[in-house]
Amino acid sequence: MLWLCISLPQLSLEALRPDESSELTVVTDCEANARWIICCNDAAQRGGLKVGMSYTTALAIRSGITMLERKPQAERAALERLAAWAYQFSSTVIIGEAPLELRRARTAALWLEIGASLRLFGGFRKLIETLEAELTKLDYSYQLGIAPTLEGAALLARAEIRLALTTTQALLARIRDLPVTHLALAPEITQQLYMVGVRTIGAALELPRDAVARRFGPQSSNYLDRLVGAAPDPRDAFKLPHVYSARFEFGFELSNTQALLFPVRRMLREFAGFLIARDTGTQRFTLAFSHRECAATELKIGMSIPARNSEQFFTLVREQLQRVQLPGPTIELALHATEFSLPTGLQADLLNGAVQEAEELSHTIDRVAARLGDEHVYTVRAVAEHRPEASWTAAKHGEKALAPAFPPRPLWLLPTPKPLQSSSMPIAGKPERIESGWWDDRDAQRDYYILRTSEGSQWWVFKDLRDSNWYLHGYWS
Amino acid sequence: MLPHNGWQSGTIVELMPTQIGVGEFQFLMPALARISSSERHVAFIAPPYIPFAPALQRHGVQLERLLIVNATKNADALWAAEQTLRCKSFGAVVAWPETIKDRDVRRLQLAAEAGRSVGFLYRSPAAALEASPAAVRLKLQPEASGQLKVDVLKCRGARSGFSFKTDTAAADLAQPSPELLASG
Repeated sequence: MLWLCISLPQLSLEALRPDESSELTVVTDCEANARWIICCNDAAQRGGLKVGMSYTTALAIRSGITMLERKPQAERAALERLAAWAYQFSSTVIIGEAPLELRRARTAALWLEIGASLRLFGGFRKLIETLEAELTKLDYSYQLGIAPTLEGAALLARAEIRLALTTTQALLARIRDLPVTHLALAPEITQQLYMVGVRTIGAALELPRDAVARRFGPQSSNYLDRLVGAAPDPRDAFKLPHVYSARFEFGFELSNTQALLFPVRRMLREFAGFLIARDTGTQRFTLAFSHRECAATELKIGMSIPARNSEQFFTLVREQLQRVQLPGPTIELALHATEFSLPTGLQADLLNGAVQEAEELSHTIDRVAARLGDEHVYTVRAVAEHRPEASWTAAKHGEKALAPAFPPRPLWLLPTPKPLQSSSMPIAGKPERIESGWWDDRDAQRDYYILRTSEGSQWWVFKDLRDSNWYLHGYWS
Repeated sequence: MLPHNGWQSGTIVELMPTQIGVGEFQFLMPALARISSSERHVAFIAPPYIPFAPALQRHGVQLERLLIVNATKNADALWAAEQTLRCKSFGAVVAWPETIKDRDVRRLQLAAEAGRSVGFLYRSPAAALEASPAAVRLKLQPEASGQLKVDVLKCRGARSGFSFKTDTAAADLAQPSPELLASG
């Protein structure tokens, strides 16, 4: 086994907001009757705020701080979305336990078994490059570590040692001289170790395990064993779900549509990762925007052919968002997809010109439909019916249809016949009598003529034989 | 010349009929029938009335390769025209924008070049008085004979400032019938 650990030190902030704000933003949590900062954005750090500082102190130092309360369930949701995404690089993904303890808030992590993926991706460098290129797009701060043990990989990630250490010997040699503070042990334990002169990881590992267990508890000695591979470290792998259901809770209200696009984009990228991991695509998914005061706004995103390209999804969502008026600020996003099928281009396994053009065509139509509404993007069909208004119908683009025969007809039809005032019509030619429709209560008895106006326009007019009124019904354009 | 030798792809053609119902749309039918019969698609963007399927079909337009886009906002219409022109599957895009600026015509021009398609823009007769970056500009007006007179105001890379006439369907059908005129 070879584990790649993705450590997410800023997760408690980034799970709530993906955009880098210029406001001083901190995430806090309560412990021992006080509120503590557990995460700061760059602006807050530059402003002198620090992790571990009490919020009261922070308020005394700076004004205008945006304070978000820690939401462990939002972190868990983010880790699950990331885990589904990560399956495109690995066949086993493990989510680290949610570090509820305040001082360990920065140790959120997930692990990917990459020993089996190396050959598929063409070696370490390729795999890491591909993974990092995708991970960077998701806008998480991360550190990577690679080691044969889970705790070893996590330690390397936290210590920012970017070396792929493939054996426990190499791992041991590399971490031996690091200070004990890098161990994932409670701070009071590392402090005590330090006080008794055990200052490096190497020294801590040399301590008799039973002594460590007696003094610091069996978890601590077991941790040291798991770190170096001397004890097994069984954990449940995250199971790739069959249907996709992801949530993104902000912990505050987002009222600006532009700002909403950041979390939307991240979710779509994670979703695309899931589709790649499942080796499939989708034709429809739902994106729901939850509001505090009213029912959620649901966007149904549909594509004419299965796809898994996050930028394509994003374009469709953005177009639809421009059309809808969200009834209030958004507090949470949810993405659901239940039906999957392989994109045609991949299915046919021949990305030739014809397939590419067909894809481009459906992407174009989807994009236009997303912006203007499905009902405004269509084609027309002739219907074997006598009454002109019933002799056509809107249809879905691309469907083959029968073509019933018709006498000459004008290219433009008016949606409703327009009454004409004049009683003497400068009509020409023999009329075409159209009588039909008595069975559906829209009985028509009309004589149709071509009328040429003094300006030279040719109108399609009819005389209603029931009341002798004249109507304009089309133009011979 | 133009209608018989086909329209050059990658161009924007402006059509300025003096009024509606003079065969101004029928004028494009041979080209649209040919394009839609040759695996490429045709788009109508923001048509002013219902494109009447029985007539389109009679003119040989393959309806399964026709896309109609209704747009209430002019900006949406221009955007949809650009998207479809840029897409290589569309051979021709016919648009009826409410208004269009030179800048928009240039954008459509670039899209048509990228998609190797022809963009037909119907504009008001007043537009004929102004200059435009479109490659081809035609003024369409009815003749007493029922034919359509086409004034070539501009034709990039070719002679312009001449006219030709073309038949319209209604003209053939509407041979005056004395008794009806008398009784009318």
